[in-house]
Amino acid sequence: MKSSIAIKTNAQAAPWRVAFERSPGLVLAVIAIVPILAARYFIGESLRLDEAQSLWQVSRDIRGVLVIVAGDVHVPLYHLLLHGWLSLFGNSLTAARILSLLFFLLSIPFVYLLGKRAYSSTTGLLAAAFFAFSPFMNWYASEVRMYTLFAFLTIVNQYFFLRILEEARPRLGTWAGYALSAVLGVFSHYFFFLNLLAQGAFFLLRRKAFPPRTALRFSLVASFIAIAFAPWAWYVRLRGVAGFQEPILLPPSTVDLFNAFSQFLFGFQTDVINTVFLSLWPLAVVLGIVALRHYRRFLPQTEFLIAAVLIPFGVAFIGSRFITPIFVSRYLVFTLPAFYLLLLRLLSLYPRRFQIFAQVSLAALMLLAIGIQVTNARIPVKEQYASAVSYVTAHATAQDIVLVSAPFTIYPVQYYYRGPAPVRTLPAWNQYEFGPIPAFSPDALSAEVTGLTQDYQNVYLLLSYDQGYEEVIKRYFDSNYERLSAQNFSGSLNLYVYRLRYNTNASVISTPL
Amino acid sequence: MNPYYDEAIGDARKDFLRTDSPKTLFIGNGILAAVYFLVLAFVFPVGNPVLFFLLVVGEIFHMWQVFTFLYTVWDTGYQSPAYRGYAPEVDVFITIAGEPVELVRKTVAAARVMRYPNFTVHILNDGFVAGKENWREVEALAKQLGVNCITRTVAGGAKAGNINNALRFSKSPLIACFDADHVPHSDFLLKTVPYFGDPKMGFVQTPQFYKNLGENYLTRSSWEQQELFFGPICKGKNRLNAVTMCGTNMVIRRSALEEVGGMCTESIAEDFITGLLMHGRGYRSEYVPEVLAEGLATEDMLSYSKQQFRWARGALDVIFRWNPLFMSGLTTAQKIQYLSSASFYLSGAIVLLDALLPVTFFYTGLVPVHISGMLLAAVFLPYLFWTLYVIQRSSNFTFTFSSLGFSMGSFNIHLRALASAATFRKSAFGITAKRRVDGNFLPLVSWHIAYIALVVVGIPVAIVREGISASLLNNGAWAVMNSAVFIPIIRAAWPTRIAGTESEQVPAKQKSHEIVDRD
Repeated sequence: MKSSIAIKTNAQAAPWRVAFERSPGLVLAVIAIVPILAARYFIGESLRLDEAQSLWQVSRDIRGVLVIVAGDVHVPLYHLLLHGWLSLFGNSLTAARILSLLFFLLSIPFVYLLGKRAYSSTTGLLAAAFFAFSPFMNWYASEVRMYTLFAFLTIVNQYFFLRILEEARPRLGTWAGYALSAVLGVFSHYFFFLNLLAQGAFFLLRRKAFPPRTALRFSLVASFIAIAFAPWAWYVRLRGVAGFQEPILLPPSTVDLFNAFSQFLFGFQTDVINTVFLSLWPLAVVLGIVALRHYRRFLPQTEFLIAAVLIPFGVAFIGSRFITPIFVSRYLVFTLPAFYLLLLRLLSLYPRRFQIFAQVSLAALMLLAIGIQVTNARIPVKEQYASAVSYVTAHATAQDIVLVSAPFTIYPVQYYYRGPAPVRTLPAWNQYEFGPIPAFSPDALSAEVTGLTQDYQNVYLLLSYDQGYEEVIKRYFDSNYERLSAQNFSGSLNLYVYRLRYNTNASVISTPL
Repeated sequence: MNPYYDEAIGDARKDFLRTDSPKTLFIGNGILAAVYFLVLAFVFPVGNPVLFFLLVVGEIFHMWQVFTFLYTVWDTGYQSPAYRGYAPEVDVFITIAGEPVELVRKTVAAARVMRYPNFTVHILNDGFVAGKENWREVEALAKQLGVNCITRTVAGGAKAGNINNALRFSKSPLIACFDADHVPHSDFLLKTVPYFGDPKMGFVQTPQFYKNLGENYLTRSSWEQQELFFGPICKGKNRLNAVTMCGTNMVIRRSALEEVGGMCTESIAEDFITGLLMHGRGYRSEYVPEVLAEGLATEDMLSYSKQQFRWARGALDVIFRWNPLFMSGLTTAQKIQYLSSASFYLSGAIVLLDALLPVTFFYTGLVPVHISGMLLAAVFLPYLFWTLYVIQRSSNFTFTFSSLGFSMGSFNIHLRALASAATFRKSAFGITAKRRVDGNFLPLVSWHIAYIALVVVGIPVAIVREGISASLLNNGAWAVMNSAVFIPIIRAAWPTRIAGTESEQVPAKQKSHEIVDRD
C-alpha cells in the first residue's frame, strides 16, 4: 500500500520535487547554506559559560580530560573528540565551534534519510530543511558543547531503529549500525538513555510489528551497550564525583515544558516573543483537529516518533518535579528531529493548498527567528562575557580585584581576561582542587569578602548565574561599600563596581614618600 | 466493481464497521479527562463567578459525553445469536411521500428480488395525504411491479401514521421498513430475520449507508458524521441492548410494535421513541453491523438542516417528554444510553457557551478563571488529543474534521430544537429532499458568520482596552479555533450551482423559515 501511495505522489509531483528525488544530495547541499550562513554570525558571538567549561575541560591530556569530565554531569565522547580536534586545528574558539557545526551539517542528510524511512522522500526533504532552518539547532551548531553530536548520533540511531522495524529481515549492517550508534550515543550524553528507553517502550507495545527474533537481538545490543558503558559508570562511581560542577537547576514549570517546544521551533527569543508564542497554544488544537482526515491511520513509525518525543519529555519533566531537576531544553535536543517529523506528518494530512501554506509559513517563521537570534543582543542565551571582561580589562588595575559568582562562571572570565587584577570566586573555590564547589554560606559571607578584598581598592563584582544567593551577595556589597557603577551586558550578566577603600597597602607602598 | 473501494483508503461500506476497543487507551482517556476537569474546576482562581459556573457546567457536559462514549464503545464485538433457518413471513414496507417515482422504482425493484422465501412488498403511499402530485404514478408503479400499494386517504401522524395505517392491511409477524431511497441488498432479510428466533427480539437495525457520499462536500461530510454513530456507537449499544431504532433499514416484530401502540405519532422522531418504548416493554434489539441497504444523504444545506432539526427535536423529546430516567422497564444501561444519545443534541448550547467565552472577554474583559502559566495547556492538550485518538481508533479512523465541524456547527439547529422541545411545541415532520436544492443557504449559517464578525470586531476592541496582553492572545487563539470549527458548515452553505445536475430551486424566503417548527 505504501508503494502505491508513493507512485501516486510521484505522478502528481511538482518538477522541483522530481528533480530532488533524482539528486537529493544537491538539494540538501543547497539547504545547508542556511546553517553555514547562520554560523558566520553565531561563531563570532562571545564565549558562553558552558563553552568555557568545555574548553577548560579539554585543555589537558586525555587522562586529565576523563578525570575532569567524570566530575561533571556529562559523558566523555565529545570532550575526547574536541580534544583531538583542537590538537589538529588549533586551540581557538572558532575551531572548537566548527566541530559542532560539522556534526550539525552531517546530521542534515541523516534527517532526510530518517524522514524518508519513516514516511517519504518528500517528508525527508522537508524535515531536513526544517532541521537546517531550526534556530535552536543553529544556535547549538556554534556552541562548544556536545549537543549537535548528541543529536547526530540519535538521528543515526533512530534511522537504524526504523530500518529494524521495517525490514522483513534486518541485515547485519542494520544491526551493527544500530548497536554502534547506540554505544556512541550513550557516551555523547546521559540523556541518550531516554532515547533507548523510548525505543524499548515502543518495542514492548508494538512487538508484533517487528520481525521475528528482534527481542533476542535487542537484548544482545543492550548487553553490548551495558558492557561498553560499564567501565565509565564504574569509574564515575568509584570517584564519586559526578555532579561536582553541576549548576543548581530549579524544578521546571509547565511554562518551561512548553517553552522547550517553542524553542525547538522558534529558538531563543525575548520574553515578550515567548509569551506571544505560548499564549497562542490553543492554535495547537486547530492544527490537530484540521488534520483529522478519513482513514489516516497512525503508522507504527508515527507511534515510535511520538514515543521518541513524549517519553523523554515526560521522564525529564516528571523526574525533575519529583526527584531532581534535570529538565533543560538543550538536553532534550535529541527529540527535535522526531518532533519535526511529527509536525510535518501532521501538516501532510491537511488539504494540499493549506499544507503548502502551513509548511512555507512555518519555515519562513523559523528563518525569521534565526534572524532575530542573530541580530537581537537581548535574547537570553547570549552571554556577553567578552564585553564584560573587556570592560574589566580596560578599567581594573592591580589594586583591584575581580570577584565572580557563581564560582563556575570563572571559566569564561579566565578565558578572556588578561588584565592585572586577580580573579577570585564567591564563594571561594579553587577549580584545580579535587572536590565539589563549596556551598554558599550567608554567615560566612562577610568574613569571606573581607578576606578576599582586604588588600584591594575596588572590586569588580561579576554576577552571571544565580544559584540562589546572588541577591544576598549584591545586597551585602550595596550595604557595605560604595557602588561606583552597574552595568548589564546581557540577560543576567551584571557587573557592579564597588569602592572598597581609598587607598591600599599596595598603593601606600607604591606611593613615593 | 465496488465503487466505494479505493486501494489507498479501503472500502467505505465496510471500514466504518471495523471498530476497535483498546481498553488501555480508554482508561487513559478517562483519567486524563478527570484530571483536566479537576484542574480546571479546582486549581485556578475563579474570575467572574457566572462565567465560571457556565464553564464548569459545560465541562461537566463534556465529561458526561466522554465517559458515556467510553462506556458505549468499551466493547463493540457483541452479537446476539442468530437462529439459522428461522424464516417467518415478512411484510416489507416502503414508505413514500412524494419522492420521485424513478427513485421509488429502484427501491421497490430491489425489495422484490430479495432472497427470502416468504415476503410481501407494500408501498406505503402517503403522496395523496401529503398533497404530492405523483401519488397516482406511484400506484401505477406498484401495479407495474406487482407489489401492493397502500395509499392513505386520511392524514395524520406523518411517517409513523403511514406505517400504523399499513399495519391494518398486512398480517405478517415481522415488518421490514425502508425509506423510499433506501435500496435493500438481496440478502437483507436473510441476515436480519434470524435474530427474531429469540421471541423477545423487538427490532433489528442495520446501518443507514449513503451511497451518494461522493456527490458533494455535504454528502461526504454527512456520511462522515454517520460513520461514528453507525460504527462504534451502534455496535456498543448492541452490547447494552440499547440499539437506536432509525426508522429505515430495519425489521420490527409486529406484536411488539402493536404492544406499544404502533409507531409513535407524538414525536417527529417516531423511530427513536418507538424503540425506547419497546425497550421499556422488555423487548430486545439487535444491530447488524453490515451495510444491507443503501440510501441517499441530503445533498443541500437546507435539507440537511431540516433533517438535523428533526433528529434533534425528536431526541430532545426523550429528555423532555419520555425521559428514560423515570420510565419503568428499562435497564440502567439502557437509561444511560438513551440519555447519552438524546443529550448529544444539548451540545448546541455548550458549543455556543464555549464560543462566547472569548468573545465576552473581548468586549468586557471578564474571564471565568484566571490562568497563569501553561498548566491548562498541560492538562487540556493531552486530554483533547488522547480523546481524538480514542475516537479515531474506535471508529477505524473515520472521524474527520468535517464531521466534527458539522456536529459543532449545527449548534444553532440544536438550540432551536432545544427551545422547541423545552416548550413542547409541535413540529411538522419534514420529508428529507431526495434531490439537491440549489441556492444561497448562507442565511442558515448566519449565526456562524455573525460569530466570526464578533471576533473580528472584538479583538481590536480588546486591544484598545488592554493592549496586546497574554490573555488577549490566548482568547484570540480560542476564538480562532471556534471560528475554524465553523468553516465546514459555512462551506457547505456557500452558494453553489453545479451545471447539468438535477436540482430544485427554493425561494430564498422559504429557506430560512422552513426548518422552524410549525404549530
